[in-house]
Amino acid sequence: MQYQSQKVAMPYFIAAIGLFTGQILFGLIMGLQYVMGDFLFPAIPFNVARMVHTNLLIVWLLFGFMGAAYYMIPEETESELFSPKLALLMFWIFLVAGALTIVGYLLVPYAGLAQMTFNDLWPTMGREFLEQPLPTKLGIVVVALAFLFNISMTILKGRKTSIALVLLMGLWGLAVFFLFSFYNPSNLVLDKYFWWWTVHLWVEGVWELILGSLLAFVLIKVTGVDREIIEKWLYIIVAMTLITGIIGTGHHYYWIGTPEYWQWFGSVFSALEPIPFFMMTVFAFNMVNRRRREHPNKAATLWALGTGVMAFLGAGVWGFLHTLAPVNFYTHGTQITAAHGHMAFYGAYVMVVLTIISYAMPMMRGRAANSEKAQVMEMWAFWLMTVSIVFITLFLTAAGILQVWLQRVSETPLGFMATQDQVTLFYWLREISGVIFLIGLIVYIASFFVEGETKEAA
Amino acid sequence: MPTPSITLHNHKPGAPPGDLVIWLFIFAELLAFGIFFGAYAFSRSHHVELYNQSQLLLNRESGAINALVLITSSYFVVRAVAAIKQGFSRECANWIAGAIGLGGVFIVIKLLEFNAKFSAGISLSTNTFYMFYLSLTVFHFMHVILGMVILTAVMLKARRGGYTPEDHTGVETGASYWHMVDLVWIILFPLVYVIR
Amino acid sequence: MSQTFTKSMARNIFFGGSAFFFLLLVALTFDTMQVLPKRDHRENITPAVERGKMVWEKNDCIGCHTLLGEGAYFAPELGNVYKRRGGEFVKSWIKSMPTKVPGRRQMPQFNLTDQELDDMVAFLKWTGEINTSKWPPNIEG
Repeated sequence: MQYQSQKVAMPYFIAAIGLFTGQILFGLIMGLQYVMGDFLFPAIPFNVARMVHTNLLIVWLLFGFMGAAYYMIPEETESELFSPKLALLMFWIFLVAGALTIVGYLLVPYAGLAQMTFNDLWPTMGREFLEQPLPTKLGIVVVALAFLFNISMTILKGRKTSIALVLLMGLWGLAVFFLFSFYNPSNLVLDKYFWWWTVHLWVEGVWELILGSLLAFVLIKVTGVDREIIEKWLYIIVAMTLITGIIGTGHHYYWIGTPEYWQWFGSVFSALEPIPFFMMTVFAFNMVNRRRREHPNKAATLWALGTGVMAFLGAGVWGFLHTLAPVNFYTHGTQITAAHGHMAFYGAYVMVVLTIISYAMPMMRGRAANSEKAQVMEMWAFWLMTVSIVFITLFLTAAGILQVWLQRVSETPLGFMATQDQVTLFYWLREISGVIFLIGLIVYIASFFVEGETKEAA
Repeated sequence: MPTPSITLHNHKPGAPPGDLVIWLFIFAELLAFGIFFGAYAFSRSHHVELYNQSQLLLNRESGAINALVLITSSYFVVRAVAAIKQGFSRECANWIAGAIGLGGVFIVIKLLEFNAKFSAGISLSTNTFYMFYLSLTVFHFMHVILGMVILTAVMLKARRGGYTPEDHTGVETGASYWHMVDLVWIILFPLVYVIR
Repeated sequence: MSQTFTKSMARNIFFGGSAFFFLLLVALTFDTMQVLPKRDHRENITPAVERGKMVWEKNDCIGCHTLLGEGAYFAPELGNVYKRRGGEFVKSWIKSMPTKVPGRRQMPQFNLTDQELDDMVAFLKWTGEINTSKWPPNIEG
């Protein structure tokens, strides 16, 4: 660690891992509710558990992105953070606001929460992933602005690298497109149309800029490959991302009342969306193969390579699987979507945040890498979590294919619940994979507490 | 191996002219157009009647003139490359200026055609054929503009004497891109305007 | 002049490509906005439909159900529920929740007023009339 202010990233990373654990626990509750419908009912109905599961995911990834930015930017710009105090203050505000929101979800019926938080004045709640009460949404905007101010000022006064620039654009884009969450017209079609401007343009747009720059940063550090080469790759990858992903938004505009030409635009451009992910995989492996140094942190390298592969599989391959309009006609809104969602989020965003944590945490604790023992444990966690997410995805895909067949394709279609009863086996298998994922996560957390011989950070 | 150009440092004999990344870019562009053309053909096979009727209403004359205009401009950039290989910077710049001028002619003819279509009330939602017609031609239209921007940059540099017989990758790069724009129209025009 | 592909070229492709395709998205959005009134039948959005959407949102229905295929996959699609079951069934179903059948998925009791139930049905009826390009494939959603 070269700059003192980088250390503010530490609480962000710790909070991220903590919330990640919460996300997984609620995921397991939901998984169980899929097969034991009345589990924890009425204390935690499914919709509440899901809200907690998805919102925790978003919030902890944001914590991870912010921590990553606070860690990377001083090193990239070669100057201390503009204001480490502001960063720390925002950390606590965000954590408290996030925690209060989750507690609100769990303790107050949602309609009551809406009442308490002035949803009638400016209704924004009750839409998927954007369930947060108005004060929380406003809080997110305030925190994001303070964060962006801090990062932008640091970049302005320091060295301006391409990695920093791409990261900054991704983060600003994140903030800008979040503003669409405040637009909630009474016309459902318009609502859905612009809802995607937050959701799609986040995960298949600006978040990928953040993903790319985090990955590029870690690859420079662990491989020692020339910055010029890595940054060129970064630009080409993010260029392909936006060139395909922006019009790729159209793959959400097939069946929600939007004009039919979107079926063509969405299909053509989202069919190209795997390209940047494929390039990312090639990029990661290529850079590691051409490494100019043997970095002692093998675990971080593994996470970086894993990100490339799993992002390509989850976002690229599983996305392509159901993105063409004639296929999507049958698969839209089934477990196939859930399968894709799980592997894409894990492969792209969870793994890249764990990559930067894996690289930065030892540095912040005053060593170049963790002890051999701790790293072996972390790699075990890597494999446990990654393999179980692959199985979760496979089981959900199987459930989805059966669901499509029984409920949508069949000459004598079954009803929704009758279909669900037919695929219970796969839901059980998914839940077991989920338990193994949790074990992987516990091993991961435990790896932080393993002592052993380490080298001083350079 | 995608993007070999990123790591390639010297122009090897047998490699295509111009910078390799422009070939990567051209390849990506042709892939995108190729998918669109494939989609068009696929959709056409399902609505042959509709396509035949709608195609009759297109202005084939302006499409054909535009094809000739682009082919001529392609010849001009060929001459530009030949000129710079002998070190004639000014001549090279003039040929490129001619190509840009023909690009402008293409744009004007195309705008007249679009204007006629839009005033007839045709939009993306009129029918599937017009969706493809408008998407493909507008998409190509934007590429013509981009090609003209690239050629302008090359022309200005050539005028300043920025290229030599030994080092004129920039001219070849611009020329390659312009040929691609031309090639796409040569496929697009018969496909959308003529073949029934 | 460098013979190779430089970083600044890559950057130009990034900026140029992103700007181009974002403008294309804006242009297509503009066109979509012109076409939508014919497909969403917004003239039928009565105050009841508007209130119904509020009821839908305030109870986080999307947390279990899909609506036009978007939402959670725990409970049935409701975009076409008005056609599948009719308004009266929807109302009595919501009122009789939860079923408390052991082991079955449970829907909470939301204590909706009669007015809210009517609004919800109005909202679902209007939603069912949106032109969704023939989706879902069949009445089961």
